[in-house]
Amino acid sequence: MGQKTPRIYSVELNGAKDMKQTDKGDGKDKYRGLQDNCLELGKNQRKEHLTKEIDLDDHKLSNKELETKYHTNIVTGLSSTQAAELLARDGPNALSPPKETPEIIKFLKQMVGGFSILLWAGAILCWIAYGIQYSNDKSSSLDNVYLGTVLALVVILTGIFAYYQEAKSTNIMASFSKMIPQQALVIRDSEKKIIPAEQLVVGDIVEIKGGDQIPADIRLLFAQGCKVDNSSLTGESEPQSRSCEFTHDDPLETKNIGFYSTTCLEGTATGMVINTGDRTIIGQIASLASGVGNEKTPIAIEIQHFVHIVAGVAISIGVLFFIIAVSMKYRVLDSIIFLIGIIVANVPEGLLATVTVTLSLTAKRMAKKNCLVKNLEAVETLGSTSIICSDKTGTLTQNRMTVAHLWFDNQIFMADTSEDQLKQTFDQSSGTWASLSKIIALCNRAEFRPGQERVPIMKRVVVGDASETALLKFSEVVLGDVMEIRKRNHKVAEIPFNSTNKFQLSIHKTDDPIDKRFLMVMKGAPEKVLEKCSTIMVNGQEQPLNNSTAEAFYTAYMELGGLGERVLGFCHLYLPADEFPETYSFDVDAMNFPMSDFCFVGLLSMIDPPRSTVPDAITKCRSAGIKVIMVTGDHPITAKAIAKSVGIISANSETVEDIAKRLNIAVEQVNKQDAKAAVVTGTELKDMSEDQLDEVLTSYPEIVFARTSPQQKLIIVEGCQRQDAVVAVTGDGVNDSPALKKADIGIAMGIAGSDAAKNAADMVLLDDNFASIVTGVEEGRLIFDNLKKTIAYTLTKNIAELCPFLIYIIVGVPLPLGTITILFIDLGTDIVPSIALAYEKAESDIMNRKPRHKKKDRLVNEPLVVYSYLHIGIMQSLGAFLVYFTVYAQEGFRPSTLINLRVEWEKDSVNNLEDSYGQEWTRYQRKYLEWTGYTAFFIGIMVQQIADLIIRKTRRNSIFQQGLFRNKVIWVGIASQIIIALILSYGLGSITALNFTMLRSPQRQMLLLVVTIQASVLVCGCAPRHSHLGVR
Amino acid sequence: MGQSSMVLFGLILLFYLVFYGFLAALFTFTMWVMLQTLNDEVPKYRDQISSPGLTVFPKPVTALEYSFSVSEPESYKGYIEDLKKFLTPYASEAQKNLKVCANGVLSEQKGPVYEACQFPLNLLEACSGENDPDFGYSQGHPCILVKMNRIIGLKPQGQPRIECTGNSKGENTTTLAAYPPEGNIDLKYFPYYGKKLHASYLQPLVAVQLNYTASSTPKEVTVECKIVGSKNLKNYDDRDKFLGRVAFKITMRA
Repeated sequence: MGQKTPRIYSVELNGAKDMKQTDKGDGKDKYRGLQDNCLELGKNQRKEHLTKEIDLDDHKLSNKELETKYHTNIVTGLSSTQAAELLARDGPNALSPPKETPEIIKFLKQMVGGFSILLWAGAILCWIAYGIQYSNDKSSSLDNVYLGTVLALVVILTGIFAYYQEAKSTNIMASFSKMIPQQALVIRDSEKKIIPAEQLVVGDIVEIKGGDQIPADIRLLFAQGCKVDNSSLTGESEPQSRSCEFTHDDPLETKNIGFYSTTCLEGTATGMVINTGDRTIIGQIASLASGVGNEKTPIAIEIQHFVHIVAGVAISIGVLFFIIAVSMKYRVLDSIIFLIGIIVANVPEGLLATVTVTLSLTAKRMAKKNCLVKNLEAVETLGSTSIICSDKTGTLTQNRMTVAHLWFDNQIFMADTSEDQLKQTFDQSSGTWASLSKIIALCNRAEFRPGQERVPIMKRVVVGDASETALLKFSEVVLGDVMEIRKRNHKVAEIPFNSTNKFQLSIHKTDDPIDKRFLMVMKGAPEKVLEKCSTIMVNGQEQPLNNSTAEAFYTAYMELGGLGERVLGFCHLYLPADEFPETYSFDVDAMNFPMSDFCFVGLLSMIDPPRSTVPDAITKCRSAGIKVIMVTGDHPITAKAIAKSVGIISANSETVEDIAKRLNIAVEQVNKQDAKAAVVTGTELKDMSEDQLDEVLTSYPEIVFARTSPQQKLIIVEGCQRQDAVVAVTGDGVNDSPALKKADIGIAMGIAGSDAAKNAADMVLLDDNFASIVTGVEEGRLIFDNLKKTIAYTLTKNIAELCPFLIYIIVGVPLPLGTITILFIDLGTDIVPSIALAYEKAESDIMNRKPRHKKKDRLVNEPLVVYSYLHIGIMQSLGAFLVYFTVYAQEGFRPSTLINLRVEWEKDSVNNLEDSYGQEWTRYQRKYLEWTGYTAFFIGIMVQQIADLIIRKTRRNSIFQQGLFRNKVIWVGIASQIIIALILSYGLGSITALNFTMLRSPQRQMLLLVVTIQASVLVCGCAPRHSHLGVR
Repeated sequence: MGQSSMVLFGLILLFYLVFYGFLAALFTFTMWVMLQTLNDEVPKYRDQISSPGLTVFPKPVTALEYSFSVSEPESYKGYIEDLKKFLTPYASEAQKNLKVCANGVLSEQKGPVYEACQFPLNLLEACSGENDPDFGYSQGHPCILVKMNRIIGLKPQGQPRIECTGNSKGENTTTLAAYPPEGNIDLKYFPYYGKKLHASYLQPLVAVQLNYTASSTPKEVTVECKIVGSKNLKNYDDRDKFLGRVAFKITMRA
């Protein structure tokens, strides 16, 4: 144990974490007096939720009773043997990891989801068909076996691929959650030992001190100045003092219990372990979170919907033509084979892989932008998000106190609060400023950790609390080397800050060689500081403090306080040299120095400022139709101030209270419809019914929830989901995990987030920055748009693949396109282009439209299907048929001859089938011609898919707005199509199983000519989608 | 509301009518243009049938298996009728107007009128059906006609003939007689100029007659015929079992 023991679950980044904790600490006390709040009441209510689950009475027992209960001894601890027995009985003191779905189940899930079922059905039908064929005729061709095998392979490979993708992103997470083993100082066999915290058992006596993480739930037996941070458990940001007295019936309230995974901030304590592992309070909450069901992601619902459409079309057309075929006196076996053909033609075999690749490409892109996606499908969920419930601290703000305003010479000055401030630009010429800056630099105990000279000031690690750190950094920026200044102004005495005094004081020898007076500097709660002053400095001159100056002070104080800022007052006093000679010995306990008649110098206010990228991100959200709701445990005034400065509450909107104040009427008299914004506190929320919450959520576009507990977050999320919204929630604490789970997309903080939060979340923000969410939203919307394009592209050729069967069955022409060839289109030429559509850049309006309504704006909707099937699809089929008829006519079979030729054509015994010119063909020669026809039809579809690809580039923009060359991958896709087609029709022409033949070159020229005409018609086909049909 | 949706429906209907009408017109037009590029007399390409297949007559009911009983005329009646029907264009009266061509040379013609050469039935001797209307089936010596598929412009090199070999089970031996002698196919029947120009064209035929020596029944024999004697006529292709060759089985019961 010791200072160096890193806290588990947290990553130290420039000491930000430390700051946050201390900031939540004494800082709050300083201005708590300013505004009254019903904190105590709130606390009680917030905890109810948890209390119900907790059955703990150890806090009520005396030490003796405890010893008996746990068979231990407070002085000597457990014996090693006892401990070993208990460890064997209770298991290690660690949270059991969330239940992992067995890998094999995950894998099988990938194998049977969505299209896979259809494909499996197709494959099995193929095998059945072969079985029937084989039982009729032992020499029947193996085509159906090949086909079935290919279909099965497609499913298996796609499944493996999807599984691999999923596993990859899970692995990234696994590396995250690697815990640093924690140590605990325990008394066993009367000896102090350091053992891994995992080996703790109930009854162990452990010692903790400031900076340690509490290794288990402990009942304190001895405590000295012990304060703990329970924020991750209860959401309370103030440090809680701990002692060994039983103070409250509620185990969460009583002071003599320390909870597992909370942090001891200061002081020391000894305690007895009363709960370990999953039986700890945190463990119970963690298991609660796993009880909240995971909702299906919107994209999963969309894909399912798509599968239903495609399967519906496939099965109904299949069955319809099965009936037609049977009534046309085809053999049942043949009809079954037609059925298979129709299903194969209808199922976009490659789409599954394409969607997975597309999603993982985007996930990769998002990871680069600091959004780590755990669940691939969450990529799109973010895009359909309509409400973001965001944390304040760390997400919207920089998570560090920074000096925001100064008040001196009766003026408020604004300080730079951006992330990388290099200098402060306010007017620094006044004499008052010289004094104020000196107080700021001297009356401060914070210090830079040594060895950081090269680090930018704002990034240096500081030892000290958040306010002092802010002041130190501020003065370092303004004055230069503060340490040097402090060295020159030697400190002779000091009273540190405490919550009773509410001030900090130090006495220094000045660096002025002439002036031998001691300088007494003080900072603290402004009203306390002012009490001790009799003069005020204006423009470097001391003036008596009268009513008007005092009033100016209060106005400034209220104004800064109203901005949600933490205000500190500064004053000084030069001690007369005659009374306090250089050798004077100051005694802080005896207070042998004056404590009144100080000279008030100025006010300074600090805030955890918003991240500079956030206001812009919020504006983007707003124009994208996303409602941003702030949910924070912080004080309403601070929350509102931050909300205003980042734009969650826009500049010209008012809350009911604002209006009341402006019109000088009672809150009840205000017309609620005039207010656009609302600040709801946890207390108010507690008293609201579901309907009331719904009303708040629907009637105010701008909402801030302040003083809320993490449990209430869950209530808010559920409220939002009742409005049919897709809700994104950010969170970091253990208690956030149920809300993160419940949300459509849970976003955990990568830096400040606890392990439980990361586990429950779908996405991890690596930089904790709200702006990253917005980039994520943009990517998510882009992926939805692009998936739509991909699907439209993929669906189009379905008709061109289906028509050959229908024409074959009804008109009786030789089969224009074989099933194997269809697979070559679906899994060959079309794969790269459809993935290439994922690289399509955002259309200009992507962040200017409302988020899609999850029940109305479907991935695959009627216009898309109609446009793909009935417009482009039909055109494609006509084009491909033209090519098919051309090939047959040029070889001797004119279209008129082809009609109803099917039966003769396919008879193996007919080896002298006459064509239109009197030539006679053997069966194999015909088969070869049929394959040439397949190839021609294939090329026909392929070339038209190139045109289709180009028109699919856009949904809203015109093709020229979108630009033909911005997405280079599209051209790679087109090249791949052509190359694959060339290889198939030239390179593999000799492999008969593939059914490809070489096309003669004049034929090909003819093809290209014909197809180009068709393609240009296709491009003209853009016209109808802008027509009254609203088709895209 | 109802009215405006009716209007919308009408517009959509109109759109589809116009759209599909346009597509149909475009398709018809391009098909017409494509057909215009074709030649009426000769197909544009003949690359897929460079070498002819062999076929046999009468057409067997099941895949290339003849089965009949000598003593039951009903069992071979179908074969005889098929043969007769096939040989109708070869009747002397039908051939009256055809040219008597010189043997052994290709009868290349420049048009505009293309004449066909006579194929006198008596070349088939015992299998001509002139003397034996039963084509030998009643005597147990059945005739099978073998012919080459018509291919426009095909000019065989050398002296093509059809060579048949019989294979029977056990010790039975079969002798095969071929008419014209040695199964010769005269070059004067080539080249073929297509259905339109060469309407009266008669294909040269070769008849194979089986003579069983053994008396045991049933008699089973597998006959394999192929084109030999011509370099440019292939008689073997591992995928096409009928390219320049044909195999069939005859089962004859008493």
